[in-house]
Amino acid sequence: MSGTREQVFPTRMTLGLMKTKLKGANQGYSLLKRKSEALTKRFRDITKRIDDAKQKMGRVMQTAAFSLAEVSYATGENIGYQVQESVLNARFKVRARQENVSGVYLPQFESFVDPEINDFKLTGLGRGGQQVQRAKEIYSKAVETLVELASLQTAFIILDEVIKVTNRRVNAIEHVIIPRTENTIAYINSELDELDREEFYRLKKVQEKKQQETARLDAEMKAKRLEEERLSNENKESGNNEPLPESSVPISTEVLVAEQEDDVIF
Amino acid sequence: MEGIYFNIDNGFIEGVVRGYRNGLLTSNQYINLTQCDTLEDLKLQLSSTDYGNFLSSVSTDALTTSLIQTSASEKLYQEFNYIRNQTSGPTRLFLDYITYSYMIDNVALMITGTIHDRDKSEILQRCHPLGWFDTLPTLTVATDLESLYETVLVDTPLAPYFKDCFNTADELDDLNIEIIRNKLYKAYLQDFYQFVSHQVPEPAREIMQGLLEFEADRRAINIALNSLQSEDIDAGLKRELLPELGKLYPVATEHLAQATDFESVRVALGQVYEYRDILESGNLEDHFYKLEMDLCRDAFTQQFAISTVWAWMKSKEQEVRNITWIAECITQNQRERINNYISVY
Amino acid sequence: MAEKRTLLAVIGDENTTTGLLLAGIGQISNSNTELADKNFFVYQEGKTTREEITDIFEHFTEERDDIAILLINQHVAEIIRSKIDAFVNPFPAILEIPSKDHPYDPEKDSVLKRVRKLFGE
Repeated sequence: MSGTREQVFPTRMTLGLMKTKLKGANQGYSLLKRKSEALTKRFRDITKRIDDAKQKMGRVMQTAAFSLAEVSYATGENIGYQVQESVLNARFKVRARQENVSGVYLPQFESFVDPEINDFKLTGLGRGGQQVQRAKEIYSKAVETLVELASLQTAFIILDEVIKVTNRRVNAIEHVIIPRTENTIAYINSELDELDREEFYRLKKVQEKKQQETARLDAEMKAKRLEEERLSNENKESGNNEPLPESSVPISTEVLVAEQEDDVIF
Repeated sequence: MEGIYFNIDNGFIEGVVRGYRNGLLTSNQYINLTQCDTLEDLKLQLSSTDYGNFLSSVSTDALTTSLIQTSASEKLYQEFNYIRNQTSGPTRLFLDYITYSYMIDNVALMITGTIHDRDKSEILQRCHPLGWFDTLPTLTVATDLESLYETVLVDTPLAPYFKDCFNTADELDDLNIEIIRNKLYKAYLQDFYQFVSHQVPEPAREIMQGLLEFEADRRAINIALNSLQSEDIDAGLKRELLPELGKLYPVATEHLAQATDFESVRVALGQVYEYRDILESGNLEDHFYKLEMDLCRDAFTQQFAISTVWAWMKSKEQEVRNITWIAECITQNQRERINNYISVY
Repeated sequence: MAEKRTLLAVIGDENTTTGLLLAGIGQISNSNTELADKNFFVYQEGKTTREEITDIFEHFTEERDDIAILLINQHVAEIIRSKIDAFVNPFPAILEIPSKDHPYDPEKDSVLKRVRKLFGE
């Protein structure tokens, strides 16, 4: 926990903002964390399936390659060139469907065959037609497996990226944004406390000064009164004098202190 | 009595061919081959056969099935060309006829490549060496069938076969090429049959007729079956593709031409004893190969016949396929299928 | 952006390509013009150079926007491994497939390598 914090003025308003921010960050963190967990679960699932599918692909492709060997055995020649030259339009295509996993769109390839198109209907007409037909079927199945695998793999790559981004965000919130906001709040609080303490001290000082002043005035008053008493004693006939104004000053001081204490507690 | 003069012209080549025939792999050797675990083992096993060290310059890492196939075919071509160069007269013509089928393939290949603007040298590499003729490279100039015929093919032995093709195609596209190819093949088989019937003496005549009839039947059955899924080929067109000879012709051939589903093909074939059970079980091609090999093996039982060349040629081609198959099974770990080869010797 | 990606493309040896084409994935765009653009590329052992593979790989992955999945033979992928490792876009999906002569080796697969790295194996 380094002491990084945001550059703000330690005011009460900022404090309020920061508190809202912290709350938001915590909420975002738990949401993202949950998203990341859901994705990771999916991801592990896909990874396992990729592994399986790749093994399966090895077998399927081997069978397919063998069906081609049967073709060349039956036709006695390599049909590769003829096939390459007969190609015109794709019969076997894929469609991408979107699947939503925790807000991430994963493409899902779906294969479909256009029965209208058949570029090789005459390949092997004079010889080996059955084998060619069989090889076509086997390879079509093999390609379906490949398409399935490709879906998984694309999902894998996309999920991998998304999970990385999500985890980066989760970590950023957990380890950077939240501590920093907390630090800022603590800073603002400490700064405000400091201000309060200064204020308190200042008020106390004022009070002290005022008390001294009062004491001094009291003393002066007392001296004056003594003087007056002495003077009145000296001339008893003039005995009536003005009421004492002294009590008003200490009362006002009392009120100020009370107000100030309220503030400290807030 | 024809045998008296046979050896004057053909004694040597028959001797050579019979020598080659003895070099064909026997079933024992095939069993040895199927025991191999790697291609390296296979190479070793083959080196003790007639193939000798045909793969000796190839390192173990570079050994692939296709390489074995290419090398084995190479050997076949060499042997065939050797025999061809030893012949003259009608025998030479007979051997030339054998090569015409490869020529048809090459022409089809060149046309296909031309349509797609493929690099000429690239296509030429893929042409069958036995079907090579001098004007083959110039085929690429053609854009439609007429000009193709007039500029190039008119000088080749294939020219007469084209006469049936002109009414169909002005524009060349892939469908047409496959049809042209099969039409040519039909014309070729019929011409070959005529040639054999008139110019080749007994007993080769009879044997060759049998072999060619088989070839024609095989094509007919294949075309009938393989065109079932394709709507572009109607009965009329099919009739033009099915060879007009063989055991199926004329009754079953007509039925095949009209067949529109598997069941009717089967019924049509049921009329002919030889092919009655061919669709019942197993792989059609395997049945055909087996039948062909039986015919070829039987062809060797007659002496004084140039048909042995054909029989040897076909047996050797089958042998190359067998070796390729075994090699394929070994590399792809499909040992349960490895015994699927055809061996009759 | 994924919607118009409907094609599969392949970079592979002759057998693999032939098989996949038989399955019907092949498409030639603008077939009758000079710009004919195929979605398959045949790799020939010993003939095809590294540059050619790189070019076609870039063409399929960067220039063409109608390819959803790019299939590539693993032994061909091996030649341009660094490029494949560096390619992280989800589209097109790059899938390494075995060929007849080269069985599949999960250790080399770029994606599986990432899987392993992620789980710290």
